[in-house]
Amino acid sequence: MRQRDELELLRWRISFVGYVIAAALLVLAFGFWNAQIVQSGYYQQRAEQNRIREIPLPAPRGRIYDRNHKLLADNRPSYNIILIRENSPHTIEQTSAMLSAGVSMSKEELLDRINRKRREPKFRPIILKEDVSVGDIAFVKAHRYELPEITVEFQPRRRYVENEVAAHAMGYVGEVTEAELATDEFVNFKSGDQVGKAGLEREYNNVLVGKDGFKRVIVNSFGREMGKLEEEPPIPGNDLVTTIDLDLQNAAEDCFSGRRNDCMGAADHNGAVVVLDPRTGEILALVSRPAFDPNLFATRISAADWTNLNTDPRRPLLNRAIQSHFSPGSVFKVFMAAAGLEAGTLNPLRNIYCPGYATFYGHTFACDEKKGHGTLSLHDAIRKSCNVFFYNVGKELGIERISRYAIMMGMGRKTGVDLPNEDSGIIPSSEWKQRVFKTKWYEGETISVAIGQGYVGVTPIQAAWAMGGLTTGGRLKQPHFVNPQDLKKLGFDANEIMEEEYPISQNTVDIVSTAMWGVVNEGGTGHNAKVDGFEVGGKTGTAQVASKQANLKDKEHRDNAWFVGFAPYRNPEIVVAAFTENGGWGAEAAAPVAHAVLETYYKKKTGQFENPNTSIAQK
Amino acid sequence: MGPFKTHFWKDFDWVLLAAALLLSAISIAEIHSATIAQPENFFLRQLAWVAVGVVFLFIVSAIDYHLIAEHIPWLYILAIGVLLYTLALGHRVSGSKSWVALGRVQFQPSELIKMVAVVALARYLSELRSSRYMTFIQVAKACVIVLVPMGLVALQPDLGTALTYLPVIAVGLFVRGVRPAVLVSLVLGFVLVLPVSWLALKPYQKERIMTFLDPERDPLGKGYQVTQSKIAIGSGGLVGKGLFHGSQNRLGFLPTRHTDFIFSVIGEELGFAGVLLTLGLLTFIIFRSIYNAQTARDNLGLFISMGVVGVFFFHLVENVGMVIGFMPTTGIPLPFLSYGGSSVLMAFTAIGLVMSVRRCRYVN
Repeated sequence: MRQRDELELLRWRISFVGYVIAAALLVLAFGFWNAQIVQSGYYQQRAEQNRIREIPLPAPRGRIYDRNHKLLADNRPSYNIILIRENSPHTIEQTSAMLSAGVSMSKEELLDRINRKRREPKFRPIILKEDVSVGDIAFVKAHRYELPEITVEFQPRRRYVENEVAAHAMGYVGEVTEAELATDEFVNFKSGDQVGKAGLEREYNNVLVGKDGFKRVIVNSFGREMGKLEEEPPIPGNDLVTTIDLDLQNAAEDCFSGRRNDCMGAADHNGAVVVLDPRTGEILALVSRPAFDPNLFATRISAADWTNLNTDPRRPLLNRAIQSHFSPGSVFKVFMAAAGLEAGTLNPLRNIYCPGYATFYGHTFACDEKKGHGTLSLHDAIRKSCNVFFYNVGKELGIERISRYAIMMGMGRKTGVDLPNEDSGIIPSSEWKQRVFKTKWYEGETISVAIGQGYVGVTPIQAAWAMGGLTTGGRLKQPHFVNPQDLKKLGFDANEIMEEEYPISQNTVDIVSTAMWGVVNEGGTGHNAKVDGFEVGGKTGTAQVASKQANLKDKEHRDNAWFVGFAPYRNPEIVVAAFTENGGWGAEAAAPVAHAVLETYYKKKTGQFENPNTSIAQK
Repeated sequence: MGPFKTHFWKDFDWVLLAAALLLSAISIAEIHSATIAQPENFFLRQLAWVAVGVVFLFIVSAIDYHLIAEHIPWLYILAIGVLLYTLALGHRVSGSKSWVALGRVQFQPSELIKMVAVVALARYLSELRSSRYMTFIQVAKACVIVLVPMGLVALQPDLGTALTYLPVIAVGLFVRGVRPAVLVSLVLGFVLVLPVSWLALKPYQKERIMTFLDPERDPLGKGYQVTQSKIAIGSGGLVGKGLFHGSQNRLGFLPTRHTDFIFSVIGEELGFAGVLLTLGLLTFIIFRSIYNAQTARDNLGLFISMGVVGVFFFHLVENVGMVIGFMPTTGIPLPFLSYGGSSVLMAFTAIGLVMSVRRCRYVN
């Protein structure tokens, strides 16, 4: 009996073991059911990701040309060293340690680069070093078995063939930022993409940027390619032909870099030049000095270079031609003259006596000619740039009319140039002063405004635009680098060039144009701008930077020099606004710059131009 | 020899052999698939081991298990000697000195010696005076029988294989009967020893356990294996990608795929259907052994069968649990399926013992 009980007990325990085993097996079976039936789709996707690697084939950006199809910006091949963390046999510390010696970067530098992108998906490549040397590539290729997670990736890079020339018009490219990615414009971009950051690169980014292709390949667990599944080749970006004339651009640039003997007054100064065709609004040249080399941005710009560009007190990244305004000085007088004639406050036949100074509202205002100009006609007042004459013109117009006419003529508002961040300039009025300074307008302030001092601020492009408008009979064409018709041909939406025409009598246009011809050709302040055979007109300006009382004449506080010229003086086809910061007299520091441009233009037009670079090449 | 001749073939458990051979066939096919890119013909070697295993099976099943039990003290001493020899002069493979060379063939004696431990413990338990519960001294003696060879294996150090000795004690003591208090204190003791042994663990062992607790913790390290294994199994779906067509397998994403992770390859290439078939065959072998234990002629046969059940079950739960991420990563092979002669011989010897037990119930 007892033995039998014991046997029963043994059998019961064996059965119990059986139940435990059955339960455990059911749990295991459930695990497989869950993985292979319930979550099968998820794991299939993971297996595909394991198996298939997408290699991006970056598209080159479109090239940028001048109006004669001379190359301004293209692309050069370059290689980056990249890390793909997914399936890496090493920790990032190990990878960094193994790689650092071969690519001359410290382990910490490499880790820092990886950690900055730590949160991105593991299959997304992290760029460890850009634009690497042949030696770096050799190191990576030689260690592809030890470091399967490290590869070399091709990337076309921007190359600006003329380096600093037209740098501000060109702009530069850089990696798209997180903030940009959040906007609609960059919805089709991904982290790491190169996009335009400034200038035309920024403005026409959507035209210039290509469509990246990709190659889908099967890889094994070491990342080695085992076969190609499909390939979508990259589509290069569209080429842009701009309105820039490289010869005119170089003529102006050369003055500031001291490479021309006939315009040394601008050498090594800050400044800007804008050259327009007033009939169309085409920008033939746009210079801003000091410039920067946009090639520095084509590779990830080094911290030192970036700090230099940003902390340089001369602000090389600022596009002075469109992004900052300056007192126009005497250049403003021709607009005062036109406004006075149009408003009827200035009789074209009237003469005014200049004793060298004038008193208004209890203040004495000086003329540059201390001895006085004597009795002057309007023509001579412009030619000799008499302040006293225009004090009177301004006083009779009053600030409200000055303001209205100046804005109508193209100042104190954006010209609409196709570059980012244009400045509006300032044309003051009593309403403006109330708004900005919360004080009322003093009549005495009108007197300063009449000669382009005081609150008036004009950007170089406004100066060129307004002068072009005035001398072509009130026709203002939106300044531009790219013809909208060209964009439409490429299939992009593009607004037509904006055109305005303000009312101005042909008589007024003739009077001021002829007077400005006199400025250049009748021994006036602009005689340095004269080009034989090309009837040049123009107006100088010399704008105070520091107050006269300070009497500081060192370089930093010298006056800003202007010359805004056009030719031929009837129905002009070219306008040049030359501005030289702290250049001193407009006649000496700005007019020769305009001369260099106008002479080059005229020589090209008449077939006498010989490009110094190409002529050497031809010999 | 007369009765042997007439009864042996008639009483032989052909169904159990068929299950083992079917598993071996799956094993050889999948080992071929897993190692097709490698120069060595692992599947042919496995085939050779299976042939040797079948010979072992016939020999062991032909011998009356009472005869084996009678000579077990000598076998046990021999086994300890072999383990000591291995410890002193064995070959080191991936950190463990657990291999000995027999001519040109490398062999892990710890697997086969597990069967010696099974029979030795079975003999001890079956010879105890009949009582409801074992005494404390008896429990201690039973433990020592298994812990001595197990300790020597652990010293190699091959912790994974040493662990596979534990179910021999666990199942033996449970079936023979221990006081609930003793059972509880054994479990408690084991639990209390854990933190102490944690300190004694080597860093890679700690790493394995940490990885088990959170496989995504270090996906580039040990968790990588489990993650890739789960991807392989999950992507196999219902019917699998087909033999030789598993991308995880063929492109090398699966680790040690012809040995410890062979079941992942099965899951990927044969799908849930193949998994159920394979698990079903293993389950059949285990429950056939349980049935044999219940119908055994005596307690010796019962304990031998249940020892085998414990060993098979532990290997199965740990290995299959590991590939699906339910268990920590250890290098424990899956009987009949993982590549390796030691594992194959152990498995075939084990069912040889079970068959011997089954055959002898007809002998009166």
